[in-house]
Parts: sequence; structure tokens; C-alpha cells
Amino acid sequence: MTDIIHFNQVGYRYPGGKDVLSDVTFSLGRGEMAFVTGSSGAGKTTLLRLVGLLCKPTRGQVMVDDVNLASLKNGDIAPFRQRIGMVFQNFNLLYDRTVFDNVALPLVIRGFAYSDVQRRVRAALDAVGLLNREKSSPLTLSGGEQQRVGIARAIVSKPALILADEPTGNLDPEMSKEVMKLFERFNQVGVSVLIATHALHLIVHMPHRIIHLDGGKITARRPRTPVLSDLPPFPGEDSRGR
Amino acid sequence: MAAEESLQVQPLPLMQRLTQEHTRVFFFSLGKLGRNPVGTLLTALVIGVALALPAGMHVLTQNLSKISYSWQDSLQLSLFLKDSVSTERGAALAREIRGRPGVQATRYISREQSLAEFRSQSGFGDALDVLQDNPLPAVIAVTPERGRNKLQVEVLLGELTRLPEVDLAKLDQKWLERLYAILGIIDRAVFIVGLLLGIAVVVTVGNTIRLDIEARREEISVMKLIGAPDSFIRRPFLYTGFWYGLAGSVFALVLVLAGTLALSGPSETLASLYDSSFTLSGLSFGSSLLLLLTGIVLGWIGAWITVWRHLADIQPQ
Ligand SMILES: Nc1ncnc2c1ncn2[C@@H]1O[C@H](COP(=O)(O)OP(=O)(O)OP(=O)(O)O)[C@@H](O)[C@H]1O
Ligand SMILES: [Mg+2]
Repeated sequence: MTDIIHFNQVGYRYPGGKDVLSDVTFSLGRGEMAFVTGSSGAGKTTLLRLVGLLCKPTRGQVMVDDVNLASLKNGDIAPFRQRIGMVFQNFNLLYDRTVFDNVALPLVIRGFAYSDVQRRVRAALDAVGLLNREKSSPLTLSGGEQQRVGIARAIVSKPALILADEPTGNLDPEMSKEVMKLFERFNQVGVSVLIATHALHLIVHMPHRIIHLDGGKITARRPRTPVLSDLPPFPGEDSRGR
Repeated sequence: MAAEESLQVQPLPLMQRLTQEHTRVFFFSLGKLGRNPVGTLLTALVIGVALALPAGMHVLTQNLSKISYSWQDSLQLSLFLKDSVSTERGAALAREIRGRPGVQATRYISREQSLAEFRSQSGFGDALDVLQDNPLPAVIAVTPERGRNKLQVEVLLGELTRLPEVDLAKLDQKWLERLYAILGIIDRAVFIVGLLLGIAVVVTVGNTIRLDIEARREEISVMKLIGAPDSFIRRPFLYTGFWYGLAGSVFALVLVLAGTLALSGPSETLASLYDSSFTLSGLSFGSSLLLLLTGIVLGWIGAWITVWRHLADIQPQ
């Protein structure tokens, strides 16, 4: 089994702009947790967007979960995204629905029975400590709580990979630590996690790899931690049915 | 988040999944419309008026052709006899023709009777005195059996024309043909108006849903971000089109019914003046069903076109 993410000499340029990424090669092992750092504008968000197929590389190859993203047809993009949990800096919640309905959405999209949906949404909300807010509107939640709703939504369908873009960007230091711990807990049960952040102070003490972007290239990385590659992905979660 | 839990939790089988999802969206879209009752009703009303117009015109032509059909009973054939045919032979011929199938009655009018009738009816009596001879031919007026259609009457006409005594045979139906022609034009007009208003319905629904999509750009973008396929995003909008079409055609039915009721009194008064038992009929059950179906299909098409044109524009950021 290969790495869950593999970038091979990837370059990216926004239409009409300069090269944001010029030559990025790295891998994230299965079950590994790593951070992407770099100054503002270094291309952290862009890198995550490439993994989530929100944009396509202008050069090089991106492989995710053994799929070459360039080979995906339009109709395959949605099922592909269902296999990844994405957490956004601006939460991207739906504010005309309850917390429960927000977290349930990935399961509803995939067509789970309501009884299963209910069970798993509760489990996800429990994991982020928001079980008592399931009937609230996200509008009535604080920034940190909304971020945790976003995290619950990302993990509810038990993806093999979680991408998080500045998940602590809007949070106070205390809450930021909590959220990072949350990601570590998911990682401990075998989920691969890639987090873009510039909250260096939060992560320097953590034992995870850091991929540092500068000038469109990876300029430094802290060595790989022992990888949980041998752990299989969640049974039943792999749509290719391995 | 235990691993053993994920073993039992699988997406539902396809049929069950579709049933659950369609049921959900059916009520979800209805609820969305219900939360904006005024806007929904106004849109449905516009659609209703657009559908009621051709439907009402259809009812009108249906009734007109019903009237004209009942008038067809008063069709008459006039057989103009050759001058050489004697009065006796003419009267005998009239009796013979009455014995033919498809003939209800005949009346022999001799040349003298023709002249007398003409004198009394036309007011040109004195002018005829100038003429030496009686210029009018003898006529046999033939009334076909009730319920014979136009083709059968024409066949009869052809047979009678070939009789040696008959100089000229004529169907007194010019006015009826004109009426049919006018009905034909109205029918065509109903079709064209229906087509144009059908397009108007599609555009109305399409535009309403376009605004809806515009207002929910964020939501659609988020859905795409978390892996919702196009079919999933499309579905609520298509159901919204369905509801608009249904509500609009129900409105149209009510409008046509109200119109029929409003006109039935005066039209019966009119019919009684003509000694006719005619009653105005509204949309038949089949036509009502067709109207509902048309509304639903048009609403759905309007939604589909809009969704197809605008959803692809929205890409997650
Ligand atoms: N849609 C876009 N069109 C053109 N250029 C863009 C677009 N989005 C980002 N960029 C440019 O790409 C570069 C990298 O942006 P990116 O968002 O990946 O940086 P980042 O590392 O996430 O920064 P930050 O820490 O501020 O979030 C920036 O210089 C930015 O100006
Ligand atoms: Mg960024």
C-alpha cells in the first residue's frame, strides 16, 4: 500500500498569475499526521486545494489514495471528495440548518439510512464536545464551536484522510490547543491528517512532521514520524472496495 | 468512532436510497416554498393565469364545436330538378328518395310553389311578373337522418347528383363550413397561444429558480466542497419546479372552472333563445388531468434548464 498523498514535482499557477507552487514533491503516509507551514501567501491553501481537487496542478502529478487526480472525470470528483474530510478556515457551514443537519450532510449525500445517520452524527458531535448543541443554529455558536461543527462534519463519514486549512485561525490559544488535540485523537485511530497552519508555536512541541513552503518549494521538513502505514483504512469506507 | 461500528454502517441499497432521498427532497422543497408563501403563491398565480388562458380557449372551442355539431342536424340537401321533369315525376322521385337509407324526410316543391314562396319571401314578386316564364326550378329538399356525419352526407349528395332527373344538387352548409373554418383558426390560435404561454411558464419557473440558485450560491458551493454530486444538488430545484407547476396548474383549473361557472348562466339564456338544450361544459376529467400534467412537466423543464445552465457556474472556492 502506497502513501495516501503523493506530490510529484507539482507546479501550480492561478490563471493569469505567477507560479504559486513551482516544484513540490512530498508524500503523506497512511495514518500519518503532518503540518504544512509557510508565510502568508506561501501556497498552503493552494496545496490543500490540489489534494481536495478544488484545482488541478498545472505541472506534475498528484496522487491521493492511489488515484491519480488528473485521471478523474468530472463525474468522479464528487465521490472522490466524499472520501476526504475537509475543514475550512471559514467553516463553510450552512446557516439555515441546525448543527445536526450540517454534520449529517455528508452522510445524507452518501445515502445512509436515517437511523445510521443519527447514530453517527451524535458520535461525531460527541467527539467534538457539541452533543448538547445539535438542535442549535450554527449562527448561535461561537467561532470555536462553529469550527468544531466543521470538524465533526469532516469526520462523520470516517474518511481515511482529513485536510484542515488553518483550523485554529479564528480560535483563542486555549481552544486552538483543544482542536489540535482533537486532530491528534483522530490520527491515533488511523486517520491521515494534513493541516495547514502558521500557528508554529502550537505545533513545534508536537511530534509530527512539518512541511515548510517558501517560494513555491518545500524548503524544510522535519523528519517523518513512525508511520501507521500498516493500519488498514476504515473497513467499508474505501469506495473501491479493497 | 469504533471500527466495528463502521462495519455495519453502509449506504443503503440503491432503490431504498433513492426512495429515501426523493421522499426527503419532496418534503424539503415543499417546506422551503412554504416558508415564503407570498412569493410562492404569486409565482403559482402567474403560472396559473398563463395555463388558464389556453385551457379556457380550449373549453370555448369545445363548446362551439358541440353547438355546431348539434346544428349539423339541420343540414339540408337541395336537389334542383331539370325543367323537363313533370310535377308528378318530381313528387314520385321525392317519395323514392325518402325510401333511401340515410334519408329522414323529403319535400317536393314544384316550380309554381317555388315561385309562390319566392314571391312571398323575397319582396321581388313584382319583378317576376315582367318575365314571361317561371325561371325557378322545382326542388326536392332532402333532410338526412340525424347523426349522419359530413362525409356520409356528402356521399348521399353524390348519389343524388347522379340521378337523371337532377340538374344540380347542393348542400346548404356554406355557413357551417365557415364556422368550421373559424373554429379551425381558433384551434390553431389556441395551439399557438398555448405554445407561447407554455414557454412563458418555463421562463417564469426558470427565472424564479435562477434567483433561488443565486441566493443559495454559498450553500451550493459548500455542498460541492463536501462531495455532493450534481444530481444531489439538482434534485431540490427540480422538485421546486414540480411544485410550482403543480400549484400553477391547480390555479389554472380553478380559474377555468370559475370562468365556466360564470358563463354558464348567460350561455343557457342564449341557448334557450335558440330553442336549444345546449349546456356549457367545462374541462373534462381527461383534459383536467392533462392540464395538471402539462403544468408539472413545464415547471420541471423550466427548473431543469435553469439548473443545467447555472449549477456548473458555481465552483467551490
Ligand atoms: N484565486 C486566486 N487567483 C489568483 N491568485 C491567487 C488566488 N488564490 C490565491 N492566489 C495567490 O496565490 C498565492 C498563494 O495563496 P494561498 O492562499 O495558497 O496562500 P496561503 O499560504 O494559504 O496564505 P495564507 O496563510 O494567507 O492563507 C498568493 O500569492 C495569492 O495571492
Ligand atoms: Mg491560506
